[in-house]
Amino acid sequence: MAITEAHAGRRYPAIDPYQVSAAKIAEFATALGDDNPRYRGQSPIAPPTFAAVICAPAWNQLFSDPELELSLERIVHGDQRFTFFRPFRAGDVVIAKVTIDRVRIRAGSELISATVDMSGRDGDQICSAQATFSHVRRAPQ
Amino acid sequence: MKATVAEAVEVGTQLPSLTVCFTRERLIRYAGAATDFNPIHYSEHSAKQAGLPGVVAHGMLTMGTALRVVTNWIGDPSRVTSYSARFPRPVVVPDDADGVEVEFSASVSAIEGSLVTVRIEAISDGLKVLGAARAEVDLGVRVPHRDHES
Repeated sequence: MAITEAHAGRRYPAIDPYQVSAAKIAEFATALGDDNPRYRGQSPIAPPTFAAVICAPAWNQLFSDPELELSLERIVHGDQRFTFFRPFRAGDVVIAKVTIDRVRIRAGSELISATVDMSGRDGDQICSAQATFSHVRRAPQ
Repeated sequence: MKATVAEAVEVGTQLPSLTVCFTRERLIRYAGAATDFNPIHYSEHSAKQAGLPGVVAHGMLTMGTALRVVTNWIGDPSRVTSYSARFPRPVVVPDDADGVEVEFSASVSAIEGSLVTVRIEAISDGLKVLGAARAEVDLGVRVPHRDHES
């Protein structure tokens, strides 16, 4: 069985708590070519789209769900929205949970909308990330 | 925040633009930093299998780089309260030293109290590679209302 519209509402358990480090923030900022001093030093904040680093294991949970029969190399990121309640900081321990909001079946592809909610250990909201992915269905052999 | 931003901002204000070259090296770097190892971002074979013309940049690399225009302008990245974009077409990155150029520009599209909405454009090879990209920033101080100059 593959992904269907009935998978809307499917919730996944929280990923292993993600510990934000100054080193990972600096690595991410360097990958973006961004030399903003707020991303460096002993107690940096992270670039806003660092949220994608924490979303990655949550999204992978969904992409590798055997019931959905998805294949990573046929998944394309269609759109992304982030709402930031506060920046990610070095030392944060982040809990991320992904939920499938909606599935739309199109000719040859599936559109999957999912939200990742990211919060601190005390339950304070840090960021909410809503994405749509398009999964290209393999042509019948 | 840079003190001058709230004082000078108005609808239509253009932010300093940015041109960045996406090379294969940058893609590998971003894949590692973001832990996004989808093979379409480094393997020609996998990209072609997926129906793409070649290795493509991560949408999030384009989106993350585009936001530099906004954070360079305000100085303090913690002022960004929301950011959204669509990925209408992939940025194909050739396997050579030069890579592909992406040009980022942005302008203020709305102001409400201390909240400023910035519209961002990303162009590569003459085509838009981000759609409807918007960042909202909270300047922390109410932006003074300015009447249009006569």
